[in-house]
Amino acid sequence: MLAAVAVVFLTIDLTGSGLRGAHGGVQGALGALYRGTDGVLGPVRRFVQGVPHAASNRDTIDRLRRENAQLHERLAQDAAGASLNLDLSRLPSTSVPARVIALGPGSGFDWTVTLDVGRHNGVQDGETVTDGVGLVGRVLHTSASTCIVLLAADPGSGVGARDTRTGELALATGQGTSGFAVSPLDPATRISVGDQLVTGPAGASTYVAGLALGTVTSVRTSADGTTVAHVRPAVSPTALDIVGVIMTAPAAEAAR
Amino acid sequence: MTPARLAAAATATVVALVLQATLIAPAALTAQLSLPAVLVAAVALESGPGAGMSLGFVTGLVADLGSAHVAGLLALCWLGVGIGCGLLVGPHRHVAGQAMLAAVAATVAGALAMLGLTVVDEPGGTALGAVHGLLPSLAGNLVLAALVVPLVRRVLRADALRAVGSG
Repeated sequence: MLAAVAVVFLTIDLTGSGLRGAHGGVQGALGALYRGTDGVLGPVRRFVQGVPHAASNRDTIDRLRRENAQLHERLAQDAAGASLNLDLSRLPSTSVPARVIALGPGSGFDWTVTLDVGRHNGVQDGETVTDGVGLVGRVLHTSASTCIVLLAADPGSGVGARDTRTGELALATGQGTSGFAVSPLDPATRISVGDQLVTGPAGASTYVAGLALGTVTSVRTSADGTTVAHVRPAVSPTALDIVGVIMTAPAAEAAR
Repeated sequence: MTPARLAAAATATVVALVLQATLIAPAALTAQLSLPAVLVAAVALESGPGAGMSLGFVTGLVADLGSAHVAGLLALCWLGVGIGCGLLVGPHRHVAGQAMLAAVAATVAGALAMLGLTVVDEPGGTALGAVHGLLPSLAGNLVLAALVVPLVRRVLRADALRAVGSG
């Protein structure tokens, strides 16, 4: 009997938006609980996340390496932006700072995080989230005081990308903690190890354009000429803490 | 089901879901550990398939609705955990065996849920990911079960809950 009810839920949710309200209600209630307990559980979580790096200098070395890589990526993006004559002033610049307070409550296969900002802070569904340098994901659902963000690293999710060296467009598919698998839209395009990828193209992507996606670490060309590159992400999905939600123009106006 | 058991089940469900989202999932992103699934298995191993099935369905449905994936998936998987664990063993089995069974059941349920996501073409699930994650998930769920199973046994055998029926 209960199994039949579960199958009915599955069918309703797969075939339409009939459970959208129920999803929103439970996500809002759980979000409020996460927010309420973050004062106690947040420091414990950050301690647990830091345990693998405890008592070593590896943490500091990794951080400095990341900063170095990010500076290199920024230089590459600036150069590419100038050559492509991108109108960066049109990109939304207002962002709401937020903190990651939870992940999915299920089995750990959800590549989503809950942030401590919501509609009251002007956050809207679909807005892009960044850690200040790279792409984190996009807002999937907002409640009054929290929002759920689908990480770009979610296996199966696609991100429009641009190679800053060639300006060519590609589709990056999330691979979880492994990064992204990238296929150029034009099969004749050559992707090289070390190429920097950013989100794009402007105005035609789910995400705000120009955010660092990652660096190409390997390229594989199959017998039929299909090229797939592996990209190390600019943002580690396992080390998220402080992020920013980039607000769209009307939301930014409303928040002021 | 009496008010005392109902209150205990509701509290345990909410605490497990909050701890899963705020502590366990962030600490183990590369494996599919699941405190709620281990809890369902532990209750079923102690109280039988009826209690396990009900707790599995309700906990799974709340987790489904609180997540971005399709509703009903975890409800179905954890309901199966409740029935399976409830049928497999009686209440007098050794705690180590129960912990092992709870960990295996939670791991299998996690892998099945991930495969389910692949079947319904939802983001997050890959067949390869489900297979690759089996061993690390089993190890993590074993640790969780070693903590949860003795606690659940003690609570369910407490006089306050025992006096009102056997589930």
